Amino acid sequence: MTNHILTSIIFLPLLIAMVLGVARASIKVIKVAAILSSLTILLLVIAVILAFDPNQGMQFTQNLAWIKNAGITYNIGLDALSLIILILIAILMPLIYIYMLKDNRKGYWYNMLLLQTGVTGALLSLDLILFYLFWETMLLPIFVMIGKYGNGLRQYNSMKILLMTVLGSMSMLFSILYMGYIYFEATGTWSFALSDLSSIDLSAKASIWLMAGFLLAFAIKIPLVGFHTWMAPAYGSAPTPAVIIMSAIMAKLGVYGIWRFGYGLFGANLHYYAPTIIILALIGLLYYAIRAITENNLRKMFAYSSGSHLSLIALGIFLTNIYAWGGSLYFIATHAIASAGMFMMIGLTYYRFKTVNISELGGIAQKAPLFTFFFAFFALSIAGLPGTGGFVAELLIIIGAFKENFIIGVFTATTMLSAMIYIFWMLQRVLFGEVTNENSEYSDLSLREIGMLLPLVLLLLITGIMPSLFIPYFEPQLLGALQ
Amino acid sequence: MMQFLFTLPFLSVLLGAFVLMLFSHKKSISLKSFNYISIFFLTIALIFEYLTLGAGSSYLFESIFSKLFILDDFATLFDMMFTLGAILTLLINSDYFKSRTYFTGEYFSLLLFSVFGMMMLSHAHELLTAFISLEIASLSVYALVGYHKNKKVSSEAMMKYMVLGSLTGAFFILGTAMIYGAVGSTTLENIALYVDNSKIEDMTLLVVGASFLMITILFKIGAVPFHSWVVDVYHGAPYPITMFMASTFKIAIFAIALRLYIVDFATINSFWRELLQAVTILTLIGGSLLAISQSLVKRMLAGSSIVHSGYLLIGLSSIGLGSDIAAPAVMFYLIAYFLSAVGSFGILSFIASQSKRQMSYDDFKGFASRRPYMALMMTIFMLSLAGFPSTIGFLGKFYIFTSAIESGQILLAGLGILTAFISVYYYFKLIAMMYFFESETGGKKTFPINASTIVIAMMALIVVWGGIGSSLFGYLPGADGFIDLAKQAITSLK
Repeated sequence: MTNHILTSIIFLPLLIAMVLGVARASIKVIKVAAILSSLTILLLVIAVILAFDPNQGMQFTQNLAWIKNAGITYNIGLDALSLIILILIAILMPLIYIYMLKDNRKGYWYNMLLLQTGVTGALLSLDLILFYLFWETMLLPIFVMIGKYGNGLRQYNSMKILLMTVLGSMSMLFSILYMGYIYFEATGTWSFALSDLSSIDLSAKASIWLMAGFLLAFAIKIPLVGFHTWMAPAYGSAPTPAVIIMSAIMAKLGVYGIWRFGYGLFGANLHYYAPTIIILALIGLLYYAIRAITENNLRKMFAYSSGSHLSLIALGIFLTNIYAWGGSLYFIATHAIASAGMFMMIGLTYYRFKTVNISELGGIAQKAPLFTFFFAFFALSIAGLPGTGGFVAELLIIIGAFKENFIIGVFTATTMLSAMIYIFWMLQRVLFGEVTNENSEYSDLSLREIGMLLPLVLLLLITGIMPSLFIPYFEPQLLGALQ
Repeated sequence: MMQFLFTLPFLSVLLGAFVLMLFSHKKSISLKSFNYISIFFLTIALIFEYLTLGAGSSYLFESIFSKLFILDDFATLFDMMFTLGAILTLLINSDYFKSRTYFTGEYFSLLLFSVFGMMMLSHAHELLTAFISLEIASLSVYALVGYHKNKKVSSEAMMKYMVLGSLTGAFFILGTAMIYGAVGSTTLENIALYVDNSKIEDMTLLVVGASFLMITILFKIGAVPFHSWVVDVYHGAPYPITMFMASTFKIAIFAIALRLYIVDFATINSFWRELLQAVTILTLIGGSLLAISQSLVKRMLAGSSIVHSGYLLIGLSSIGLGSDIAAPAVMFYLIAYFLSAVGSFGILSFIASQSKRQMSYDDFKGFASRRPYMALMMTIFMLSLAGFPSTIGFLGKFYIFTSAIESGQILLAGLGILTAFISVYYYFKLIAMMYFFESETGGKKTFPINASTIVIAMMALIVVWGGIGSSLFGYLPGADGFIDLAKQAITSLK
């Protein structure tokens, strides 16, 4: 049974979506089934956590022949890094469904089910073609959700995110095919399994080109500065559940990809690109922060904020010491939780005021204290409020950066500062000041809304106050990888 | 006796064509009956083709025809695609005739003659036979393209296609004559012997002749310097004919092209390598540009079919450069393209049979809310044509690109991936139109369950299953089964 547990986690939502689609289920049934599936997956993931052994590498692996003629296998497995993101997916999906509870558009729910299969599959695949399959298919629900259920220039923006991401995937596909061929030339059999491809010796020149193919895909997904033009429009147009997935999961998968496939396939050769990525990340830190300060649309502001923090994570991945790596991994988790909470709050803001423009908001604190508390809490935890998980993570990355190089350290430290600037200024304008929405009737958070936000708050506090609970889970793997 | 069994598919189609021709003027027989009669004959052919698969390779009636016709799995597999393509064309468009008064019984007869020509072409093992078969198929298609004779676009398309097609057909004859001059024979077997036994300097005449053959082939598949007819002809022809041309007729040309190339000319490819690569690059880029700039979906698909020819050409030039997987890759791509093209054009002509629209991108606005199932299937076919993973189209491109990399044509593989990226734009534009815009006309229509829609739905399922289905699930062959079939067909050539 343990063999199939990951397969069940990946395909349960897809299966449910298919059954519901064939049965032409009513919206009520779809809602119940989706929530049940997400809860079942949460239970399965808890079972995985309990059986997980931090001192072993890949676990729960399953390796089946798939397309034999091309050596493509169905090869999945999980280690500490993927476990972190898997837990995130498992926790966030039920909460997102609670958020969506009042939405009666069937397509919305179907897309979320498909999306969960897509991101989980991409996370757990250890065969490059399988990974590519999930990597591409997780884009489709996002494409549809932005284009069909989004706002603003939704059609244009969905096409934009699609084309830019596909450009990255195509370059990755080229690298994958080429590596498969090199393996074929060396051994006489085709294989695209990560473990096989990582064993081949690449010439320095070839690996530079091949790495570029992979890194382009991941850089667009993260996005690093220069590859980011899709980000703000897409975040601005996308409906809240899609934004949460994009910011909390899909962007993290970009970083995850660098780790799993960048380091996994090229090892230390990847450091050829370290200066480039570090510089891009440092520019990104500041550039995104400045854009966030000047942005008037809350969704876009936190899109930039998300970009800034993901640049920090990418930076941490390329600084090879235990602090930076540990910090990056920790930040992947805590930022996902914080940004999920934040985008939920922005969604609730839109639900109440029909706008997310800072200039049209104000004085919420006077009328809705609970709303204000949660809003401020998530915003501050994104800024790295001590006591929340983000603080620990950022601190670790900054220590790692100083360890590597003083100048990089100084620049990295500015993220915390700049985040403080835009967060506090935004809070001041949105929550306090004059009440601008005199006419709009709005209520404080309902019980359902508190129910979906509270777990996130608790998680942020636990990760902030007791990091020692979590770090032993991934520390052995990092130490192993560093050697 | 076995030989007779092997020729049954031919005879069935030919008999059907003559029967239909003889009765075509009878007004008392409805078009619907004609439709069923042709499907009946084609189905018999298909069944016997299936039985023939795996029969090994032999010459057909060697005592009568000498070595003109060969029977091998390669030819049989192509035959199956031709008959299947024709059956699907007829099934999906069974409503198309209702609203069109210009259709008469001859239509079915011509279609069957065309299938007969293609079947001969895939079996032809001699150049003149190949030419005659090609002309039988082409002449029927010329007539079919201009079938709506009172419509200017249609007549223009037919003239354009016929004049240019006949002109390039002449090159085939010229090339055959030159090869005869060099070899002293026109059977592929003797040409292969000659090529193997002569020095490369002595073969100038043969190479020039073969180049002329290539011109005809490149014209027929719409490769770029010879592509000017494609979009107009596809546009001018009635929808069923466009579907038939794009999915079936195009594949027939590859039957002879592959056979010629693999059996005879692959070993001396160095003469054409640069030429072929240049044509491939032009085809990929030119086709993409054409497809991007269209506003009618039919014309976009026509342009994109040029790009697909480009991918096939990548595979073709990889064969010459000694890639082992290239030939099965081309074969697989043909199957994948056949399935996706039949599906996408099928849906187009199915819609056309219900309404009389031009079907621009704008007409597809809100299609998903009017016809959710049709839109879903169209999406699947678009994904497959774009080479999106989890469809058979992705595996087709996967094999083509790996074969290009294997043969050292990194640049072509890169360009192929780039044009695949461009194609994402024009295919997804249609998806976006269907799903992201509100419908301007009409409410939701029910999903009509009849032969046409069932066939289209089956195609959609096969397209997905061919992309992800695997030996994981025991008895259904899926993606592996198709490539095994392709390999089997290619092995039978050698």
